[in-house]
Amino acid sequence: MPKITIDSTEIEVEKGTTVIQAAEQIGIDIPRYCYHPGLSIVGVCRICLVEIERMPKLQVACYTPVADGMVVHTNNEKVQQARRAVLEFLLINHPLDCPVCDQAGECWLQNFYMQHGLYDSKMVEDKVKKQKALPIGPNVMLDSERCILCTRCVRFCDEITETHELGIFNRGDHTELLPYPGQELDNKYSGNTIDICPVGALTDKDFRFRTRVWYLTETPSVCPGCSTGCNINVHHNDHRPYKAGGIRVSRLKPRYNPDVNQWWMCDEGRYGFTQVDADSRIVAPQKKTRGDWQLLSWQDAIDEIATKIKGILKKHGADAFGVILSPQMTNEGLFAAKRFFQETLEVENIDFEVVAREKGYADDFLMKADKNPNSEGAKKIGLSAVDNSGLEVAQMLADAKDNRLKALYICHHNLEKGFKKEEVKEALSKVDLVIFQGTNQNSTSNLANYCLPSASFVEKDGTFTNFAGRVQEIHKAVEPLGESKPDWTIFRNLSKRLGKSMPYFEAGDVFNALAEEVDAFKGLSYEKIGEHGVLLNGHRASTEKEMGALVA
Amino acid sequence: MNIHDKYKPLTFWEKLYLPAIISGLWLTSMHFFRNLTLHILRALRLRKTADGAVTIQYPEFLRPLFPRLRTMHRLTKRDDGTPRCVACMMCETVCPAKCIYIIADEKLENPEIEKMPESFDIDLGLCIFCGYCVEACPVDAIRMDTGILEISNLTRKGMVLDMETMLNLEPMQDRYVKYTKEGEIVSQEYLKQDLSK
Amino acid sequence: MVEGIGIVLLKLAFVLLFVLNFGGLLTWVERKQSALMQDRIGANRASIFGIRLIGLFHTIADAVKMFTKESFRPVAAEKFLFTIGPGISVFFALVGFAVIPFGDVLIIGGKEINLQLAPLNIGVLYLFAVAGMAVYGVVLGAWASKNNFALLGGLRASAQMISYEVALGVTIIGSLMIYQTVELQEIVRWQGGTLWGWLPKWGVLMQPVGFILFLTVGIAQSKRVPFDAPEGESEIIGYFLEYSGMGFGMYMLTDFVETVMISAITVTLFLGGWQVPYLMADGFHFPWGATWQLENWAVALLQVGSFTLKVMFFLWLQMTIRWTLPRFRYDQIMRLGWKYILPISLVNILITGLIITLLK
Repeated sequence: MPKITIDSTEIEVEKGTTVIQAAEQIGIDIPRYCYHPGLSIVGVCRICLVEIERMPKLQVACYTPVADGMVVHTNNEKVQQARRAVLEFLLINHPLDCPVCDQAGECWLQNFYMQHGLYDSKMVEDKVKKQKALPIGPNVMLDSERCILCTRCVRFCDEITETHELGIFNRGDHTELLPYPGQELDNKYSGNTIDICPVGALTDKDFRFRTRVWYLTETPSVCPGCSTGCNINVHHNDHRPYKAGGIRVSRLKPRYNPDVNQWWMCDEGRYGFTQVDADSRIVAPQKKTRGDWQLLSWQDAIDEIATKIKGILKKHGADAFGVILSPQMTNEGLFAAKRFFQETLEVENIDFEVVAREKGYADDFLMKADKNPNSEGAKKIGLSAVDNSGLEVAQMLADAKDNRLKALYICHHNLEKGFKKEEVKEALSKVDLVIFQGTNQNSTSNLANYCLPSASFVEKDGTFTNFAGRVQEIHKAVEPLGESKPDWTIFRNLSKRLGKSMPYFEAGDVFNALAEEVDAFKGLSYEKIGEHGVLLNGHRASTEKEMGALVA
Repeated sequence: MNIHDKYKPLTFWEKLYLPAIISGLWLTSMHFFRNLTLHILRALRLRKTADGAVTIQYPEFLRPLFPRLRTMHRLTKRDDGTPRCVACMMCETVCPAKCIYIIADEKLENPEIEKMPESFDIDLGLCIFCGYCVEACPVDAIRMDTGILEISNLTRKGMVLDMETMLNLEPMQDRYVKYTKEGEIVSQEYLKQDLSK
Repeated sequence: MVEGIGIVLLKLAFVLLFVLNFGGLLTWVERKQSALMQDRIGANRASIFGIRLIGLFHTIADAVKMFTKESFRPVAAEKFLFTIGPGISVFFALVGFAVIPFGDVLIIGGKEINLQLAPLNIGVLYLFAVAGMAVYGVVLGAWASKNNFALLGGLRASAQMISYEVALGVTIIGSLMIYQTVELQEIVRWQGGTLWGWLPKWGVLMQPVGFILFLTVGIAQSKRVPFDAPEGESEIIGYFLEYSGMGFGMYMLTDFVETVMISAITVTLFLGGWQVPYLMADGFHFPWGATWQLENWAVALLQVGSFTLKVMFFLWLQMTIRWTLPRFRYDQIMRLGWKYILPISLVNILITGLIITLLK
């Protein structure tokens, strides 16, 4: 193992490590544009030049492998001068439109210029004009003038998605990044090019001009879009509510997790947060009286629902009560539901799986056909019909049609995704009490007697279990909209009203109780999960298995 | 004055206080009698100049404003009449009173401009007239040179300036003219300066 | 009997009108005088049909405002004490005037009318008793407000007024030793004589140190600048912090009435009260031997006029002091009261006694 000295700190690193990676290990940040740990190394931007003793010229840190006895200086006068020169070179044709550029505030050119450059421009010549505001795909807007030709996006399309849409054209100062003729940047992961673009050349059509990045607050979370459970940061706008029509969540960005999604996420998940601030959100408990929805207070809603549930259980018994939970719910919500329905109400007809009629898109990289983030968790907690020897969802609907089911508690599901519209309508119309609990209205909620608002994934703490059995935390980024509450809180309150209280005060309490009770979760605790999640018992930590084989 | 003088013990004469108090009373009462006399003479029309007060009777007579004085905001326009503002939100960010509300709009038909404010509101009820917004603006789109000081409204909502109003405001130079108490212009020296600089 | 009551009521009306009008006008004087002292114009905007009358209508406007404003009482305030606080304050400021003589004797239809509301033979003691009670209005109001800043103001006021009450008594003992009486009418009459045949025997000449000390202590008693630490509007707002409308108005009126009061007492004790130099009961007797016979009513008129003028001079002087000097710091007030004024007064008594003994 070679031993090298970086800025008078000695470190022993693996053979084949480059200088920039070695420096990172001891916390020295060398500026970089073209280098990205997830992509191949090309060494074109030259900003990472460092001085290596006994080498005649400055070397690019990203491309130089370490050798035993190497002495590296990353911040001396010579290096600084070189960086200033590179910055000056990059800024020759870079337009000064930071005021209108969405990248401003998270732009690496801006940042390094403020750290190293700070000179006045010596150029008197006009800047080269290139194409501005050019849509090159459904999600991506290109501004060629701003591009510093680091080729990160080109390499991403070549190496990660292998779709080869982008290329570098022309020569000299007319060199330009463009899609190949007749092609669009429309692969399922195109949003990642925006993330990795160090400048404002590629911007997000969806996020464009909505707000400014320095108004946003980041909260680590997990994408609820499919069972992969990509780690994300939720960027939310807490202090300027008048921006973009009051949308609280501005965008989602992937968060590095070496075991799940590395640096990437798919476009489906990236733009799939719109329901959080949609008009269809249920903001208060409501009851349908003669076809009209009527708002209730939580107190009244829980009182009424509890009374009706009690009545039905007394009159028709537990067999006439069906519960359809949802893999959209967190482990906490599912566990509280399990305790409420199994222990408080002693109901057996519990199921969570509604198999979608249209199979979701899946590939061998990040996207999974199962579009629910917690199916594995629901299975492990034991909520499928088989575990409870109760009815499956399809049987519940069939029973309902035959008037044998008197009450149905549906969480989050849009049943029309799994069953025919008429079937659902006919079945639900024959059930006396249909309670829908969810974040947004859908065609199922419209058929219910009661609607209870539950908090969306950015409004609560909790955990999801991904397809590989990895338990990952989501965090509360914004306050629950209106009167909505996390699912587990609703079940806790209902349970208390019906005579059995649960001593849970925050999501961690529920998870710790879950870890004590459910075998698969034994030994875990909420505090132990950490930013990258932990695997359930009996699951092998294997990047390859979780990720598929596509990672370069 | 030496800073140590502060701690110099008082002399007996100073300790008496009375001489100092009397000299102070002398000064103020001299002003009192002088001004009283002048007021009476003026009231009797015996004297026209040298008033007993430096007061400018405000709504009737205006005092000249200093050209750098910060008054109500206005937005500048491009040659074609559209706002110069590019909705970069620098002013909104720097505003210590958080009284600027900008919503940006995309202008795809002109990629040279790209970004424009859809709405640009300033809540004058919150504004502290610090002028940071003018300093922060990279495109000279906002200025505080309208000379409008009389800002009041019957509702809170009425205190909000919208983009349309601000675009139509002009720099008002006549507020920089010096008047006599009788309302005659005596000096236009401020007018000669180019206020746009 | 009925006649006697009628005369008392008339005198009462005269004194009340005198005091309250001065008190009210002082708000105008305060504004205008400070304006003149500071090269300003002062309040002049209140007008009736366009007539501004150099701002005099502001006095009326103030009164209208005070009466029509909501009298707000904090929820936590002691209801009863909070309500009567300003009343107590005004009451004790006003009743002091009962013993102030504003003229000698007026003879109408052979009936002698003493131009003094209450010919009390313990006049000075009564005055001090009343002045001592004045602090209660302030402290009760401040404490009943249940506001810490108001309470702080009340504490400062009580400390200051009690400290200076001691000095107030001591400063005039020298004068009383000379006058040999505590009846105020007698004190004024005593000052009617002349020294060496030409110099009026006014207290200010007999007791110059006592006069200065008394005036200082008097201003301190009225809690006005430079002794306005209890109010301290730039730091604690003062004992009347929670008062609005007429409650506050009464505290403000108290301030002004006390100003008139201090002027009247000072005039009575040190400036010969209603005395006009060389004016006897039957007319002027000038030192060079000339005389000028006057009717009794003319003499009485001159005396009342003299008293009024003297009071007005002291009002002017107090206003000038108020608008010239900055506020004393609280510790300075205490030091001045206990370490300077009280000892100097005591020394003054000693020296006065010594001189009286030597002259005998």
